[in-house]
Amino acid sequence: MDFDFSDDQEMLRDTVRKWVAKAYTFERRREIVKAGGFSKDAWAGLAELGLTGLAVPEAQGGMGFGPVDAMVVMEELGRGIVLEPFAPVALVAASLLGAGPAPTAEPWLRGIAEGRERVVLAHQERAARYRLAHVETTATLARGAWQLNGTKTVVPGGTHAGAFIVPARVSGAADDAAGIALFLVSRGTAGVTLRGYPTQDGASAADLTLSNAEAIELLPPGPAFEALEHAIDIGIAALCAEAVGAMDQLVAVTVEYMNTRKQFGVAIATFQALRHRIADVKMQLELARSMSYFASLKLNEPAPARRRALAQAKFQLGQSMRFVGQQCIQLHGGIGVTDEYSASHYFKRLTVMEMSYGDSMHQLGEVSARMQDTAGVFA
Amino acid sequence: MDLNFTPEEQAFRTQIRAWVAENLPKDISHKVHNALRLTKEDMQRWARILGAKGWHGWAWPKEFGGPGWSAIQKHLFEEECALAGAPRVVPFGPVMVAPVIMAFGTPEQQRRFLPDIMSGKVWWSQGYSEPGSGSDLASVKTKAERKGDYYLVNGQKTWTTLGQYGDWIFCLVRTSNEGKPQTGISFLLIDMKSPGVSVRPIITMDGEHEVNEVWFDNVEVPADQLIGEENKGWTYAKHLLAHERTNIADVNRAKRELERLKRIAKAEGVYDDVRFRDEIAKLEVEVVALEMMVLRVLSAEKSGKAALDVAGLLKIRGSEIQQRYSELMMLAAGPASVPFIREAMEAGWQGDMAGVTFVAPLAGTYFNMRKTTIYGGSNEVQRNIVAQTVLG
Repeated sequence: MDFDFSDDQEMLRDTVRKWVAKAYTFERRREIVKAGGFSKDAWAGLAELGLTGLAVPEAQGGMGFGPVDAMVVMEELGRGIVLEPFAPVALVAASLLGAGPAPTAEPWLRGIAEGRERVVLAHQERAARYRLAHVETTATLARGAWQLNGTKTVVPGGTHAGAFIVPARVSGAADDAAGIALFLVSRGTAGVTLRGYPTQDGASAADLTLSNAEAIELLPPGPAFEALEHAIDIGIAALCAEAVGAMDQLVAVTVEYMNTRKQFGVAIATFQALRHRIADVKMQLELARSMSYFASLKLNEPAPARRRALAQAKFQLGQSMRFVGQQCIQLHGGIGVTDEYSASHYFKRLTVMEMSYGDSMHQLGEVSARMQDTAGVFA
Repeated sequence: MDLNFTPEEQAFRTQIRAWVAENLPKDISHKVHNALRLTKEDMQRWARILGAKGWHGWAWPKEFGGPGWSAIQKHLFEEECALAGAPRVVPFGPVMVAPVIMAFGTPEQQRRFLPDIMSGKVWWSQGYSEPGSGSDLASVKTKAERKGDYYLVNGQKTWTTLGQYGDWIFCLVRTSNEGKPQTGISFLLIDMKSPGVSVRPIITMDGEHEVNEVWFDNVEVPADQLIGEENKGWTYAKHLLAHERTNIADVNRAKRELERLKRIAKAEGVYDDVRFRDEIAKLEVEVVALEMMVLRVLSAEKSGKAALDVAGLLKIRGSEIQQRYSELMMLAAGPASVPFIREAMEAGWQGDMAGVTFVAPLAGTYFNMRKTTIYGGSNEVQRNIVAQTVLG
């Protein structure tokens, strides 16, 4: 049992933190939001540091790092509320490609590691909410080739991706996990339509419509759903860490504000009602950090234990993100609700994260359904 | 980073588990697992079993006869005892006064008091709170006047947990009214059989006699029972309170009680009720998060890299969780929690309301647990402390 970061991990943290402080100032971020929520330069910067290859195996030109390294990077990207779809490409899609057959996956993995390519998972459907097994998009074999039909929604960084990993139904009813396979669809393929838009947090996403779009099978039914669940859990762990970084920064900004802002002739940090509020904020932040560690450290456990842990973590993060976000805005007063000041941007990112990979109510259902007779971290 | 305990730590756990399984009397663990009333004899029997093994002072260093365990070993020992249904060790002797005697007592005091604490022979009580002091401990008024080779003590302590069984009591007493309230306090060890000491019960809302008032009426206390220097008692007390606040998370007991809550919910038919089950699920996440926070503290202590100052958070969260599980247990039984059958809380009770036996203590425990957010520095005082560390 050891929660210390290694020297290498401390160095990695330092590197990313410096990059964020230099290349991702709040003013720079504002420009990127205006330009559509994505910056090629920023992506190139992440690639230059080797970060896009963080989870790509060394044999495919990556660094082959593990969950704790990813957590360190995500905390720092969260601190700067970096908009580019780093986790969706470098962690989630990389994990799915890594589970696929080498000849199909390798060129994409190399491209991701080198920063040339972006591949993202396009799994959400309008009617599915957070149910992974609910897939209406179909895949049919015609003249030896797979053809996909359906619409995937809110695909992160969709308009800036070169390819999509798409869960599609080859058999079964709309909620049957066993009938889902994973496909790889290139952006330029005939029948692929993208409708991009900004998201509430200033980033970008797209709806992906597939009409008889040709696709390559990445994983067949069975392994496909297992890999999908694992990839979503990787996404949850990354999101937990990102949220911890974002909350760390938001709390720091709030504390500074409380110590400088004066009302009735004194700093508002002297008012006990506000002191108790910030103590409660600190509580939620530390519970979130604890569960973010838990999420990353449980990622390589067997599926049932992993799923239970990741649902517990995301539920805690949901509680923390909501409380810390809302209260830090409240503690600021009027300035907190303005677009000009940074706090609102952190709050919006935290809110969008609640609705990513399953919200609190969904996760509570998962925790509830997976409850054991025993309790605790090692249950 | 690694979530798992090392093979050595796991082997240690296995060894403790086997020892506890063999040595913890079944009639006692039965009472603990069912929240039945524990007698003085039950608590002392377990204390003496631990004492004979040299584990009643499980957190003690070797030089004072303890096992010299690491922070993680202590945690594993506490967890194994809790999960097996051992009674909580009454902390006033081995956990509270002993570290103060070790740190600030004379070698003579150490020889005189520590062995009887370790063996479980002498029952200690805590004399801190006074009527009106609340969380403001420095306001102590109990007066100790130096008269040659003894102190003459007059005053009253209150909320003295299990003081009705106490042989000795450690007290904060006022020896000076000069300067700040904190600077005139001394730390005195008092034999409760001394003439002039009287103990009166306070019955709490659960109908139980757990806490007491202790009165001192011209009690003569030999001066060699003063710890350290006169008027420095506040420093020693703070040393002790630091101990109290890290133990107070009580996450091991929370795990055991959460398992019990699930058993009760199943027996009462509400485990599969979505609304009820979701409340258990929320509590489960809270317990896991609290345990992770405790493990982070232990890890920091082990590596010595960066100390983690979250004692206030652990106290707040730990106490809230204790209140919540006791509340959910009571609600699980529902109307069956309403009858107040005092005798049903005794082990082996064979009344004519057999259906109530299992759930008889639930409401009482819920009432009893209201104390947890009040004692040890109320949760509001803890929030002040947390805010101080956050805001500076």
